[in-house]
Amino acid sequence: MDIEIFPYRFLSADTTEKMLNGIESLDDVKRAVIHGPRLPPDDPDLLPQYKERRNITVCGKPIELKVRTGRILVELSSEAALDEIEKICDENLKFGYDINTSRSEYIRRHKTVSDAIKYGTGENNLPDELIGLTDNNKQFADSVDFIDYDKVE
Amino acid sequence: MAQYYPGTSKVSQNRRHFSDPNEKLEKLREISDEDVVKILGHRAPGEEYKSVHPPLDEMDEPDDIVRELVTPIDGAKAGDRVRYIQFADSMYFAPAQPYVRARAYLNRYRGVDTGTLSGRQVIEARERDLEKFSKELLETEYFDPARTGIRGKSVHGHSLRLDEDGIMFDMLRRQLMNKETGHVEMVKNQIGIPLDEPVDLGEPLDEDKLKEITTIYRVDGDAYKDDKDAVEVLHKIHITRSKGGYNPE
Repeated sequence: MDIEIFPYRFLSADTTEKMLNGIESLDDVKRAVIHGPRLPPDDPDLLPQYKERRNITVCGKPIELKVRTGRILVELSSEAALDEIEKICDENLKFGYDINTSRSEYIRRHKTVSDAIKYGTGENNLPDELIGLTDNNKQFADSVDFIDYDKVE
Repeated sequence: MAQYYPGTSKVSQNRRHFSDPNEKLEKLREISDEDVVKILGHRAPGEEYKSVHPPLDEMDEPDDIVRELVTPIDGAKAGDRVRYIQFADSMYFAPAQPYVRARAYLNRYRGVDTGTLSGRQVIEARERDLEKFSKELLETEYFDPARTGIRGKSVHGHSLRLDEDGIMFDMLRRQLMNKETGHVEMVKNQIGIPLDEPVDLGEPLDEDKLKEITTIYRVDGDAYKDDKDAVEVLHKIHITRSKGGYNPE
């Protein structure tokens, strides 16, 4: 099943990092995606005390955070993990949040025509585990930071 | 007695508080005259005011009873240009909001023109008067560094979710949180031109204070439907207008 965590505020890099690490530590989580408006491009003139863009570490792997987290979409293998996820949210999202479960899927699982045009129709062009994680307006390499569990030590 | 706003709720009280020129507004922060000029961006600090006509004393104006009755404001006397300041107020418990600003501006200030839009409110006045009004608008309860944006253009953001630190979205990123001091600083002027030195706007107000001074009805704060008096007056206006149209006879 898929769920959507909808915080009442946009998350900072610190909270995003804590949330993702918390969610990723659960066994029942199959995939998690963060979703939100893009952070402004890195401005070399901006003083460090104002900067929001920074690298976060998820599952020990550094990732450049490119969006301000507005939603977290999570694919679960069992409903039992919902309580755990609520606990993580209570801990990190003091300003409130919703967990939406009404839709059967929040992360798309089928290839679309846009996917075919952008990435081609061959199986290797867009592996199944990456369907629904891409932003069709961006180049693939720019828009997806993908951590493959099997390769994480 | 002037009737500024109906209602018995805290929000309606705050609306009356803003709109009544006899009520003194609480001063919450100190912003220097020079910083106000920098934020406005109409002239460089220390620069002379540009004028669009000679001072009124030197002008040979025709005799007119209205000219004798109305004392001109300082800027008009000197022949200043008309300039503006514009604010965007977040829906999330910002202290002021456009319609309240319009009522308050027109009750409190002379010689101004103001325009209301869904998420922003512009006020226009002669330059030196505008600077005086702007200082008051920035230093008092009208303004919260996080929930109120000083935005001459690109105002989008009043209805968007806030950032985690309570700052309202701004595509030009004029007001930024300084992570070291916890203060909000203005790094660009109101139309987005970078400032040489940031202007410190102070700490954002806390949530309880905002809920106490807000003029916005919200279901998660004071709901409009619970303010029976305000709703009754609204119904009365609606009915009389519907039945009488624009011709009450």
